[in-house]
Amino acid sequence: MENLHHKKSFWSKYIFSTDHKTIGIQYMVMGMFMAGVGGYLAYVFRYNLAFPGKSIPFYGMLGAEQYNAFVTIHGMIMVFWVGMPVLLSAFGNFLIPIMIGTDDMAFPTLNALSVQIFFLSAVILIASFFVPGGAFGGGWTMYPPFSAGGYLNHNPDFFKALFSGTSLLILAVALEFVAMLMGGINFLVTTVNKRAKGMTPWKIPVIIWFLNIGAVIFMFSVGPLVAGAFMLLFDNVLGTGFYDPHRGGDPMLWEHLFWFFGHPEVYVLLLPSLGVLAEIVPVFSRKPLFAYKTIIYLALLSAFLSVLVWAHHQFVAGIDPRMATFFSIGTILISIPFAGIFLSYMATLWGGKITMKVPMLWAIGFIGLFLIGGLTGLFLGSNTFDIYAHDTYFVVAHFHYTLFPDIFFGFFAAFYFWFPKFSGKELNPKLGKWHFWLTFIFFNGLFFLLFFNGLAGQHRRINDYSSFSLISREPYQTFEQIATISAIGLILSQFIFLYNFISTLRSNRKSVKNPWESTTLEWLSDSPPPHGNFNPYPVVYRGAYDYSLPDVPEDFTPQNVPNPNNN
Amino acid sequence: MSIFPENVSTYGQAIDNLFWLILAFVAFAFFVSLFILIYPLIKYSSKKVNRAEYITGEKKKHFKWITIALVGLLLSDFVILYVEHDTWGEIESVPSKADVRIAIIARQWNWIFVYPGPDGVLGTTDDVTIDEMNSSLHVPINANIVFELRSQDVIHSFFLANTRLKQDALPGRTVIRWFNITKPGKYDISCTQICGILHSKMRNFVLAETPEQYKHFTDSLYNANKPATASN
Amino acid sequence: METNQNHLAIPIIKIPQGRLGMWVLIAGELVIFGGLICCYLLFRIRYPHWGAMAANTNTFIGALNTVVLLLSSYTIVRAHGAAVKLDIAKARLWMMCTLLGGVMFLVDKSIEYAHEISEGFTFTSPKLVAAGDHVGSLFWSFYYIMTGLHGAHVLAGMTAIFIVMMQIRKGNNMHRVELVGMYWHMVDLIWIFLFPLLYIAK
Repeated sequence: MENLHHKKSFWSKYIFSTDHKTIGIQYMVMGMFMAGVGGYLAYVFRYNLAFPGKSIPFYGMLGAEQYNAFVTIHGMIMVFWVGMPVLLSAFGNFLIPIMIGTDDMAFPTLNALSVQIFFLSAVILIASFFVPGGAFGGGWTMYPPFSAGGYLNHNPDFFKALFSGTSLLILAVALEFVAMLMGGINFLVTTVNKRAKGMTPWKIPVIIWFLNIGAVIFMFSVGPLVAGAFMLLFDNVLGTGFYDPHRGGDPMLWEHLFWFFGHPEVYVLLLPSLGVLAEIVPVFSRKPLFAYKTIIYLALLSAFLSVLVWAHHQFVAGIDPRMATFFSIGTILISIPFAGIFLSYMATLWGGKITMKVPMLWAIGFIGLFLIGGLTGLFLGSNTFDIYAHDTYFVVAHFHYTLFPDIFFGFFAAFYFWFPKFSGKELNPKLGKWHFWLTFIFFNGLFFLLFFNGLAGQHRRINDYSSFSLISREPYQTFEQIATISAIGLILSQFIFLYNFISTLRSNRKSVKNPWESTTLEWLSDSPPPHGNFNPYPVVYRGAYDYSLPDVPEDFTPQNVPNPNNN
Repeated sequence: MSIFPENVSTYGQAIDNLFWLILAFVAFAFFVSLFILIYPLIKYSSKKVNRAEYITGEKKKHFKWITIALVGLLLSDFVILYVEHDTWGEIESVPSKADVRIAIIARQWNWIFVYPGPDGVLGTTDDVTIDEMNSSLHVPINANIVFELRSQDVIHSFFLANTRLKQDALPGRTVIRWFNITKPGKYDISCTQICGILHSKMRNFVLAETPEQYKHFTDSLYNANKPATASN
Repeated sequence: METNQNHLAIPIIKIPQGRLGMWVLIAGELVIFGGLICCYLLFRIRYPHWGAMAANTNTFIGALNTVVLLLSSYTIVRAHGAAVKLDIAKARLWMMCTLLGGVMFLVDKSIEYAHEISEGFTFTSPKLVAAGDHVGSLFWSFYYIMTGLHGAHVLAGMTAIFIVMMQIRKGNNMHRVELVGMYWHMVDLIWIFLFPLLYIAK
């Protein structure tokens, strides 16, 4: 009887919970699991690239078809099943209510539904590996007609086509979008409606702003792609010809729909991590965030510009050359707000009292690596150089230098920063530093040399370069091997993190309420926060970044401390 | 050793030069930013949590440095755009003088070459189609080779690294591009848009020859194909 | 069971939560249909031939359906009015009328589909394809995907109205009448766009 009761409470407490903190943790754990899957896929195809034709430990031989499927699903997973849940959903769900000083999201049931749909989408995605024909292998961009089965066969067998890797992938992505849209509705309504008393717009922490701007960008760019995904699915299962030029359709339509979503999507991924930096950098430099309002305005500007740049992914796709110039200018313009945001973070450091705790280390590493990623974007934003660099390893290295720091460094910075809050325990900082330095070194070892491979003309998504004389020569093959060895090192160093995570959870190194002496509201709650978060609910009197205020004895003034001049 | 593959086209050098120009801007920006990032970590590093200066950055006096940096970035971006603009126009438009016209058709998984036949015009009955894996496209050097790029099935992408030219081949569309090779040799054509299982085997060659050799090649090709003049 | 002692102290709500959420949801839905309509328009401009295909749609039933949907929007407005006055019986009656409108819309649509399918205009229109009219068959693909997606929304709206109708029997959740009403208006609004695009423009 006792046992049964306990079991029931486990399910309702951890699996079917509607509490925003549990849902945030569910998203995080699922995202971390999917990162493991994506990392494994990366390991397999990277091993194949470095040692072609060799049997891969923990996998076996890798054929061309599986290679294509692995690179495709690796990209899909890392963007939609790691980046989105970990950055947007986990941070959003965990942080939004507690940082704006309220009890829960606006629609807790919808929130629980969103996490369940997300789980279902992940299951469908992984299941797509095991259907006849295997997972889809046409690149994460899913360009038709390759992804539109109808171009080969106008009368597909409905059920066979429905349970093909392509259709399952479309379904999985569509469900993931639904989950994220539900989350997005929740973010916006919660932030607009449920803020603590006194939390006026200019007192909201940057990360909450950024999560909401991200949710808005996502909602307004994903719609056309959802429509496009329906068309692609029908091309597959019913044999329509939306993307088949022989039947009046147009494959270019998908490219536009995809990138109209796909480019804003990278800002959806970037903004939450930038928000994390905005929370961490001031805390560890004991200084107010530099130009808080300007940062918000810049982010709003970038949200607007983000829908004007999509065709820079299509410079060589055969679009009108005059259009390319327009999109080149758009690309140039959107680099400005992000450069401004990063420079403001760096300016925050100047004149501070900087302590290099583990979260700060990850934050600085993020800025440093993103610098390379952002600046190499200048090469690709130039439409003329893109003729050469498009779809080469230069692009691969470029976007890994942006997305890897964004997703993983951003996540780890946040994780080390907020772990004391959501678990009430204190991570081992020594292991954290080891984890950081190994990840940092191996990441650079993995991708820096690939820039040179790209410049040498190495194009993407090829499982065997032996027939290409430009690439199958030294030193490029050695570079591939260095990259692969670094990739293995990168994956192995994550076990330090896992060990630290699990051993800390099982230890009893209790953390204090506000270990970093931060000003935002979540640190007023207990660690871990109880159901309902606050008792009593806080009232906000000041902005989120009042560090080292003059005429105040402490070097930080939490948001709920009244302003002596006004009262 | 150059970081690029050997350039053999008339416009390739402009793209390489553009790279070095952008690299100059990028390297400058990188080292300045790195200094801004690393210097305070050393200068203001503190063993203990301690009171710092109170600068909100909302004052013009403080923010002006960021404004200057952003204007600098914007200016250098527009310099790049200005410099590249002519090259872009040159590559993307059809030259007024076309010495050789050919068609390149992508399929899963090969590049098909269509020579125009003795009349020099594509789409006539004397066109000769070569559809063999690992075959070579013969072209004369120092001539404007204007080609129609098409695809029979899915999206492919024509990449000739030594000329710096890349162009997607879309089914249902014909894209016209050109190149002019200045040095005889055999250069790889590859497909850079994932197109299925044998995507990595979609490798053919461009064989750049002297005009005499090219003449010799086409003559023998057209003679051999005289009876079978079927075209599609 | 954890109880929230200071429930009343939860920060004040400025706009009714559900209404705000519904607005955001509607915005999201409109972008999906907006994308679809834009795709359709681009092809419509490219293929003047589609006018001939649009002539095969039944404008009369289309117009009838427009009237039906507009009327059902009116009835859901009345239902909301009654719900505000806490008149449960009346609210449920008006919602019933809306449901009836929805059913009528779907019946009309089914008659229309049946007729079109019998003429050989289907998702892929093999008859047109066999006759070499590939572009025409694409029109029908668009026709079915747009009206079909809209029909699915009609069905979803009806389900929501039905559920709310059941919920308010004892006077609970009266504010939800407004929410399903908003959703129903959106369904109506989308039809107002689809009707001229698919039926009238020839």
